[in-house]
Amino acid sequence: MSQIQERGSTHVYKVNKISKEEMESMVERCVYEHPPFCSAACPLKLDVRAFLDAAAAGNFKKALQQYEKIAPFPLILAAGCDAPCERKCRLGEIGDSVAIRAVEEAVARYGEVTRIGGVFRTRKKKTAAIFGSGLFALFLAGEIEKKAYPLTVFCEQPDLEGFLRCETDFLDDNAFRAELKRLRGKEIEFVFDCRITRELIEEKRGAFDVLCCAEAVHAALYPEAPCAPELMYCADAGLVTGPTEGVLGAAFGAKKAALTVDRLAQKLDPSNTRGTEGAVESQLYTDLSEAKRLARVPLNGGYSKEAAIEEAGRCIQCRCEECLKSCAFLEHYKKHPGLLSKEIYNNTQIIMGDHQLNKPMNSCSLCGQCTVVCPNGFDMAQVCHRARQNMVSTDKMPLAPHEFALLDMLFSNNEAFLARPQPGYERCKYVFFPGCQAAAIAPETVRAAYEDLCARLDGGVALMLGCCGAICDWAGRYEMEAQTREFIDRELARLGDPIVIAGCPTCKKELSTHEGISIKGIWDVLLELGLPEGAHGLDRPAALHDSCGARGDEETQTAIRELAARLGCELIDTPYSGDRSPCCGYGGLAAYANREVASEMTEKCLERSDAPYISYCMACRDRFARKGRESRHLLELCYGTDAGAPPDISEKRRNRLMLKKELLLDLWHEETAEMKLDFELHYTDEARRMMDERMILTDDVIAVLRDFRETGEAILDGEDGMLVARKRVGNATFWVKFTKESEDSFTVHRAYSHRMNVVKREG
Amino acid sequence: MAAEKNYYTIDPQGKLMCVKCGVPLEKGKAKFMYLDNGFPVELPVCPRCGFVYVPEELALGKVASVERALEDK
Repeated sequence: MSQIQERGSTHVYKVNKISKEEMESMVERCVYEHPPFCSAACPLKLDVRAFLDAAAAGNFKKALQQYEKIAPFPLILAAGCDAPCERKCRLGEIGDSVAIRAVEEAVARYGEVTRIGGVFRTRKKKTAAIFGSGLFALFLAGEIEKKAYPLTVFCEQPDLEGFLRCETDFLDDNAFRAELKRLRGKEIEFVFDCRITRELIEEKRGAFDVLCCAEAVHAALYPEAPCAPELMYCADAGLVTGPTEGVLGAAFGAKKAALTVDRLAQKLDPSNTRGTEGAVESQLYTDLSEAKRLARVPLNGGYSKEAAIEEAGRCIQCRCEECLKSCAFLEHYKKHPGLLSKEIYNNTQIIMGDHQLNKPMNSCSLCGQCTVVCPNGFDMAQVCHRARQNMVSTDKMPLAPHEFALLDMLFSNNEAFLARPQPGYERCKYVFFPGCQAAAIAPETVRAAYEDLCARLDGGVALMLGCCGAICDWAGRYEMEAQTREFIDRELARLGDPIVIAGCPTCKKELSTHEGISIKGIWDVLLELGLPEGAHGLDRPAALHDSCGARGDEETQTAIRELAARLGCELIDTPYSGDRSPCCGYGGLAAYANREVASEMTEKCLERSDAPYISYCMACRDRFARKGRESRHLLELCYGTDAGAPPDISEKRRNRLMLKKELLLDLWHEETAEMKLDFELHYTDEARRMMDERMILTDDVIAVLRDFRETGEAILDGEDGMLVARKRVGNATFWVKFTKESEDSFTVHRAYSHRMNVVKREG
Repeated sequence: MAAEKNYYTIDPQGKLMCVKCGVPLEKGKAKFMYLDNGFPVELPVCPRCGFVYVPEELALGKVASVERALEDK
């Protein structure tokens, strides 16, 4: 049989880089990391999700920690904020928005204050001064103190109470006392009863590294010097200050001003690396369908602790996880596609070292479900497919994960390949292309379908048994794919370029990309011809599983439903059907590269319903049956056949060979020379199970025993009395543990393989 | 002289017999090779014909994990 050349060495130091622009254009479609709309609307960037989550859990200490990140005086901000977050809350579209401000107020009131740094808090060397009072000066004092700059405030008031009272008359007594206590706890030096004059400010210029002042002070003393509000900085006067409006405006102004203080203290341009400041736009997608509690907890002048917990619990924690919810692969790696794609792209660019993302990259089923469920159409399949091709192009793609599947494809298109015009025809109007898995899993159904098409269609129906090339395409082996494409085109031309009748939606999709091919599904033909005699559906309701090969192919999906209806099938409507259908785990060669993820994909398909499953792709039928679910292919129902229990990997090959052999004999009257085994071979059940799990074919075992019979080379294991022989086949060495029943009869007990070559070493 | 490096050692302890040569396998020098990398090991080897035996536990354990590590290089 054909072999595939293993890559020569790990010492290949080249990369074919995917451009950064290409990567970014893909990655930016994922909105998972976009902020929720409430946080996006907050100029102070409160992490509202985390805040409400902690509050809902009754953890007011943690909630207050979140809030204090943006508010040095939480009660003041909570009391005076005009809450743009609430206006953007998505719940507001279908009910009441979450009363975020009121919850903030409750958290600020009931939350236990965490002391930052304590007595060991290190303070910076550079110093700052603030002249004047009011909300901006107060908030700025809090922000500068948080940044650990030694700070002195010069104000006209006689005491701390007077300083805090300025512009905060909206605070009730309790809140005022609490904030006074908080202010006292801060490491700020105050100079009271100051007459704030230009002379005083200029006099202090040498004593402090950065000078700041309230807006009123700036307006009165430096009317000629303009200030840049985006930086809160008056360069001409060398003062950090600027106009603000309202409580939230003062807090936001103080935040910007504190950053300017930071830059100036480091002798940097204040406009240097500030990041995005203020409210932003968000494109986050939120699923509102599950939102339940739409009415606000009544406020009654403010929330009790319990009421705040209840109200915070109404937050639906906006996150876009549409793909993570529907895709077992993304769910397995617990990464949103934006992040996973970045990591996979980086993986393709490693010149030396471990490609740790090879396995995830090869575990995607390339089914395209994410593109449909993602509100922005993120295409993980394209990312993984491009990455695989890229790795192949640089000779860094391991062959091991895909070799079995690729060899199986070569088997389909060599030993098991058949392309013949219908007996009596030289050129045919049609060719039936059932697909490699149909021939491997349900050969009787393929034969029945072909004979039916020959009998009922005019113009001749040729038969082509083989692989469409999806396997090597999925593996990223683009050169092999081009060869397969050429091969199929040549064979089709030989048959007279007939209209292809595909038995498998993936074949239909793959062959549709060939130039000049006219193609339809067997389901379309059966709808035109009418059902064959004896066709009948299941006698109980069944779930229809749409093939990932038919994603975006509405005609096929509709035709399949019509066919099922004509068969009398009662179909159960399941979530994730039609275009949203997940992959069974066979697609993209996931089952070969990552058995665990592929198994989770199959389970994800089956968790939608307890009913029997009807599918129209033979790989789906096979994988569902392997999980113990009653699983039927639509064509089995059409032709009254039953492929029965799922075949193992060797039986799948034998089925293809036998189908070819029997059809050649019965329809074309051609005998196939058979390679007879000149010895008897038996397998224990354990050996069979082991071989299927370890992807060892009976052909591999036969090769080992043939070699043993020729060379006599084997080991006798003294512990169990069994013989062990080996043979290198292609890129792997196969070992078989067996007993010899007679000269010509053997029983296989165990089999294993490794890819490394082992040789005797001299010296 | 520094001791020669071996990545893995198995001593057959007389429990394995070469069927072709009819002699017990001995602990001998062998080498695993994969993707242009080589690893010296000591495995059960027939002193006459040089048959190198790789037991199942080794093939599915250490060998498989080294294979995977090299494949991702």
